Order: sequence, then C-alpha cells, then structure tokens
Amino acid sequence: MRGIVARLTSRALQSVLVIFAAASLAFLMLHLAPGDPISGIADASSVPRELRAQWDAQQGYDQPIAVQYTRWIADVARGRLGQSTSHQRPAIDVLGDRLPHTLLLMSLALGASVLLGAAIGAWQGARAGRRPDRAVTTASLLLYSIPEFWFALALLYVFAYRVHILPATGMFDAAMYDSMTPWQQIIDRARHLVLPWLSLTVMGTAVFARYQRATMSDVMREPFVRTARAKGLSEAAVRRQAWRAAILPIVTLAGLSFPALLTGAVFVERVFAWPGMGSALLDAIDKRDYHLVSACVIIGSAMTALGSLLADIVRAFVDPRLRVS
Amino acid sequence: MPSAPQDTAAPSVAASGVRQRHVTTLLGLISTALLACSSADKVTTGETGGTMVIVQPAEPRTLFPPRANQTHELSVIASVFDRLAEIGPELSTFGDIGFTPRLAKTWSWAPDSLSIAFSIDPLARWHDGVAVRAEDVRYTFHVYTSDAVLSESRSLLGNIDSVSVRDSLTAVVWFKRRTPQQFLDATYSMFILPSHLLASLPDSALVNAPFGRQPVGTGRFRFAQWEAGSRLEIIADTANARGRAKLDRVIWTFVSDLGAATVKLSAGEADFLEQIKPENIPQVASTPSLRLESYLSLRYGFVGFNLNARREPLGAAGTPHPVFGDVRVRRALSMALDRARMVRSALDSLGMVSFGAGPRVLIPDTTVLRQVPFDVAAARALLDSAGWVDTNGDGVREHNGQALTFELLVPTSSATRLKLSVLVQSALKNIGANVVLQNLDGSALGPRLDARDFDAWMGGMQTNPGLQGMRQTWASRGALNHQGYNSPVFDAVLDSALTTFDLARSRGYWARVFQQAIDDAPSVWLYEERLPIAVHKRIRIAPLRADGWYANLADWSVDPAQLIDRDRVGLGGAR
Repeated sequence: MRGIVARLTSRALQSVLVIFAAASLAFLMLHLAPGDPISGIADASSVPRELRAQWDAQQGYDQPIAVQYTRWIADVARGRLGQSTSHQRPAIDVLGDRLPHTLLLMSLALGASVLLGAAIGAWQGARAGRRPDRAVTTASLLLYSIPEFWFALALLYVFAYRVHILPATGMFDAAMYDSMTPWQQIIDRARHLVLPWLSLTVMGTAVFARYQRATMSDVMREPFVRTARAKGLSEAAVRRQAWRAAILPIVTLAGLSFPALLTGAVFVERVFAWPGMGSALLDAIDKRDYHLVSACVIIGSAMTALGSLLADIVRAFVDPRLRVS
Repeated sequence: MPSAPQDTAAPSVAASGVRQRHVTTLLGLISTALLACSSADKVTTGETGGTMVIVQPAEPRTLFPPRANQTHELSVIASVFDRLAEIGPELSTFGDIGFTPRLAKTWSWAPDSLSIAFSIDPLARWHDGVAVRAEDVRYTFHVYTSDAVLSESRSLLGNIDSVSVRDSLTAVVWFKRRTPQQFLDATYSMFILPSHLLASLPDSALVNAPFGRQPVGTGRFRFAQWEAGSRLEIIADTANARGRAKLDRVIWTFVSDLGAATVKLSAGEADFLEQIKPENIPQVASTPSLRLESYLSLRYGFVGFNLNARREPLGAAGTPHPVFGDVRVRRALSMALDRARMVRSALDSLGMVSFGAGPRVLIPDTTVLRQVPFDVAAARALLDSAGWVDTNGDGVREHNGQALTFELLVPTSSATRLKLSVLVQSALKNIGANVVLQNLDGSALGPRLDARDFDAWMGGMQTNPGLQGMRQTWASRGALNHQGYNSPVFDAVLDSALTTFDLARSRGYWARVFQQAIDDAPSVWLYEERLPIAVHKRIRIAPLRADGWYANLADWSVDPAQLIDRDRVGLGGAR
C-alpha cells in the first residue's frame, strides 16, 4: 500500500511539472508569434494604432514578456486563468461552458472507437491474412488516410444536405428546442450528436482496429496459443485468451488518446459547429488569446497526465505481470 | 404610535401575501391569454410573428455597445439599443437631413448651432420598464469618452464638448465647433445606455460587466438569451413605444465554417446568411426555398503603396520609397491593371471598379471623376520616361540599381483580395514589375502595417457614413493612413469639404478631394463589392442599408402564407 501511495505521489509531482512546462511553453511560444490579443480582435486597418496600444496597456500586454509571464504564473497558482480577450470574459468561464460539450462528444466517440476498434481488430487478427481480413484492412486503411475534416464535410453533405435526415450543425435546434417536451429535447440533442459522433468514431475505430489487429495476429502466433489449442480448448476460448494478452497496447493507446477528450475534435467541432474545447482552442490561437490558449493547455496537459496514470492502472489490472512488478 | 405586535400582524401579512399571489397568478393567466390571443391574431393577420434564424461565422464578444466593433456584434446591438435619431436610407450626413426620431422625439438647434437639445420620447422605456431619461444620454456620452472604457467611437465624438441635462427629458449636446456633420456626431456613434443599471459601476468595470452578455436596451427587440457558442436570441419588445418588432424572434447561431453554414441554410435549418463565399452562391441559388439579395456596402479595396521608405514612421520627414516615391511609377502601375476585368474575374457581378478613396455610396458625384485609364503601352512608356528600364533582359525593370520588385502583403482573411493579388501580380509582370506576394493572417499583418514594414498591401476599408473617416485614412496625419499619403492639397480640400455648409460647394470640394487622390495614386483604387446575402423566401426584408444590413431588422417580417413550424412558436419560452 505504501508503495502505491509513493508511486502515485511521484506521478502527481511529475504531472505538475509536465503541466507547468507545457503551459509555460504554450504561453511563451504564443507570445513569440506575430501579433497579440488586441490585433486578434481589432483589425489593424480599421482601428488606429494608438487605440490598440491603449487597449494593450489596459490589459497589460505592453509589459515585457517576463513581467507578463510572472504575473500569469502567479495568477495560475492562485487558480485564476485570466481574462479571455476573444470572449471578453474569464477564461475559466469559457472552459466551463465548452468542456462539458467536448467531454460528452469525445467520451462517446472514444468509448465507441475503443470498443469497436478492439472488436474489429481482434476479429481481423484472429483471421490474419484471409480474404475478410484483407478487405477490412483495406477499408480501415482508407478511412485512416482520409482527412478528418473532409470526412466530416462529406457526412454533412450527404446526411444533412442531400438526404436531410440529420441536422447539420449545433447541439440542438436553436429555434424549436425551448418549445419541446423533455423527451423531444433528448431526441433532438441525440440527433445533433450523430454526425459529429459518427465522424470521430469511424476515424477512431479505424485507428484502434489497426493496432488491435497487429497485436492480435502476433499473439495468435505465441506458444501459449498453440498450447491452448493442443489442450483441446475451443477456438473461441483460445481467441478470448489471446485477446486478453493483445488488449494491452489498446489500453495504452486509449490512455494516450485521453487528451483528445478535450482537444482532439478540433476540426469536427468546427465543421459541425459543436461548441466545444477544440473549436475554442482553434479560435483562441487564431486570435492570439493568450490566456484562453494557456488555460486549454493546462487542462489538456492535466488530462494527458491523468490519462497516462489511468492507462497504467488499467494495464496493471489487465496484466498480472505488471501488478507483480 | 406603537406598532402592532408581530404575532397579530403576521397572519395579516400572510393573508395579504396569499391574496397577492392569487391576484398575481390571475393577472399572469389573463396576460398570458391576452398575449397568446394577440400573438395568434397577429400571426394570422400577417403583421407580426415568425422566427428568423441567422447563421453567422462568428460569435459576438460582447453586447456592450461602446466596445463592440464587429458587424456580428452590431447586428444584435442595433436591434436591442437605440440611438437618439437614426440616419436616413441615403446616409446623408448634412445637418439633420434625412434623420428620423428614435429615442429623441424631437430636437431643436441653438441659434448659434453650437448645441442641439434632444427631447426624449416620454413613452420610451428600457426593457426592464424604467423610463428613459436625459441623464441616460449624458451618462452614455461619459461612457463612450471614458479613458477606462476606451471606446472605438471616441475618436468620432471629438467635436462634442459635453452633454448636459436641461430637464429629465431634455438632453443638450454641446459642440466645440460648427460642422455640417455635427448632428451625425451626436447621434450615429452612440447607442444610449441605461444609467440606472450601469452608473453604480466604476468605468473600469463596465467593459467586462455582466451587462455585456445580458444587455437591457430600448430597441423594438429585446435581449432574450445567449448560450455561449450555440445561440443568441432576441424577441419582439411588445411594450415598445414605437411598436413591437414585426418578427417574434431572431436567433443567431454560430457556424465558423462557411461551407457548413451554407449547408445549414440550404437544409432549411436557418433563414439568413450574411456572408456567402462566391463558390457557394450557385448552391444557394439552386435551393428553391432561398433567394439571393445583394446590397452596396461601405467597403472598398485597393492596392496601397507605401510612399515612404520601409519602416519609416508615419509623419517623419520622409525618405521616399525607392519605387513608390515617384508618382509616375504609381500611375504606371495603375494604368497596367485592367481593373474592370480583374474585378469581374474575382467577384463576377458582385464586384465594381472603385471610384477612389471612398465607397461610391458616399461620393456625391462620381460622374465628374477622371479615372487613370487602362493602357499598358502608356504604362510602359511612363515607366521608361521615369527611368525604369530593363537593362539586363531579365524581364524586370531597374532604375539606379534598384529593381522594380516589391512585396505585396495580402490578408488571408479576404478571399477576394487573395484572388485579386494574383491577378495584380500577373498583370504587373507584363510591364516589367516583379511582385512578391506575402500572404499573412490578420494578427501578422497588423504589426507589419503598424511598423510600416511593407512595400504595398492589398488594403480594404469599411467606412462610416459621412466620410469624416477620410481624415484618418487618407489625410497626411491620419492614424490609419498606412500608405503615408501626404498631400497638402488633398488635406486642404478635404478640410473644406468637411466643413463647408453650402451643399453645392461641398459637392465641388468632394469632387476635388477624390480627383486629387486619383491623380496622386497613393493606391490603385481597385474594387467595391455588392455584398450577397441569402434569405429564406418567406422572409420579407426591409431595404438594406449600406452601413449594415441589420439597420431595419425590426421591420422584417414573415409571409403569413408560408409559415413553417418555427414561426408558430410565438415569442417562445425565453421571455
């Protein structure tokens, strides 16, 4: 027990350092890019330089970068993430609005991707080299290589424009939602979720399936599989045993995909106007919104650390050898 | 007199509370019924009712008028707030010609014209029910000119000395000097703010105050709700003294990808799209439920030349730019561009060749202007005469060891300017000029312009009515005169045009102003756009004003014969 606590403490400290380093890097690199938050919200061709300079001074952006950095770090240490210039309200409020939307979309998409990807990959791995495997491999490779943005647009075009069986953008029907019954509201939100979820899930499934297939086909050639067959276990039981050994890389990959819960859906959120963290981050970078970008990075790196930790725990649960070590 | 003991008073208070609740409930039911009847009645008569869903690429940052400067912010603000008086459709800025009452019911000029007394409409109410007072006008001027608020409009209010309150319904605006545009100064740049809600806050807290996300105005629409990232809704103010807005609701939704926004519109999920990419116009045109409209805007585009050496501060003594310091070169470059063909190629029927340093809507008489002609042979000859010749046969002219090569900055935010920049590059190659295109996003372009670290740029300006902005954009000391154009003649005639009270002489001065800018060619005056909008066919729109499509939004309505589901929601649940 003491060992576990020590290890968790060590990981937590590591995580704090990682978060600090990542956020500092983001803050400094954004400051090195041309422009500043004021140039991001006020067109230089239409707002006089003097006025922009006054806005800069009002927000403290005219201070040397070291001063800005020190002040920002001090604020972050006190739990204040600063004021978003592109939203003109506290960055924490922007995140508070956006985070639940992204968590909803990405958790559903990531969960489905892992499950479907693991199932399809395991099915393929057990039949590696046969015609069905080759067909599915080709299909998943095709999906894997399609740009996410393009795929999302294609879905939008087909299902929202051509066939028009699903809504195009947003999280709900902006005009009718308030007059719906609670049950209709749930259905409306589900309908709006389908296309962004499908975009992410299909692409994610292709990734997980490829990894799962590769490990599964390797495991199927392991001596313990031959032994199991020699002992007369049914093929289904053999595959179950093999799959348990082959799931470890998927667990690691799922853990590493954890940050995508926050930032992974940048393009899909943009196409479907899903008001999540990804689109907020993209917009914030475009507008040089220092505080919002830094806040996103802090949350993102915290999620990375947490995901990595969770992956370790799950791996230990799944693989007895790791528990022993 | 001794007060009644609490234990005897309590039942009375409780009973009174219960009665009050019953009365309130009863009144609520009656008013709801009346509202429902009136709403239904109005829908059937076609006068009012309906919902319009607008899809736009960006979400407002704030609805606090002094700090809102983008079209997508102003479209909401202009519907929720009022000015003292509203400019007419002709955008005339000469005195109060064409202006119509808004919060001010009437106004009277002082004999010396150095003040105007605005009489506030006694029936005008804020959306929270409080009466509008002259103090609101005085407070608004204070906020717009506050050092802590730093409003962009402050520079347009420079001629206003102060605002005083004569009585509770009369605000007097005092001017520093008489100008033909002083009525515009007093009205156009300020949306009146509620002092009873804001005056208790320090000025420094106003910009980020909750009011910016839950505004209370006096317009014919009132704010209903704003869900960050999803929608912003305004509803008709049924108690408005000037009459409720014809539409029940207007809802803005935010889709940053214009392609997806067009799909949303074509799929019938939205009724109005303000920005349409040229490549999406056929898709909109082929959608039976939509119609395309366009309107002249106050935008114009140009190729702006840096007339001084790179990085030389504005207003410095002025080392001429090695290429653009010579007016003959600038005119030759203008002559080499077939602007009509270029504009047609980039903008099709939505583009027009610009007349000069302002949008045609604001130029009093365009017929008298003599343009630089398109004449490639003359352009070559002019460059030859200026000493620019291709001595080494590499296709690029030189003069005193300086090649006729320059960098052209292009903002990536403008598809039109990106297209035109390529055409400019190609056309100028024909006369031996080498143009190096440098595409930059807005955040990177701004610092380059500020530092004057450029040769030329694909510029664009959005002006206000009245052309006072020309002092900033083209006069020698103008803060937005990135080109460093410095012509005493231009400055003098511009000053005369902006200050004369004789309408006929004013037109003459304006003609000279624009002609001077054409002759001096600090820029190639390239294009103006008719801005396309797509709107659902059931929506009946009011005339679109050049300074903003949204100017008469309260008069837009829905054809009662074409109602769809969302039109039947009435004022909705967001009241």
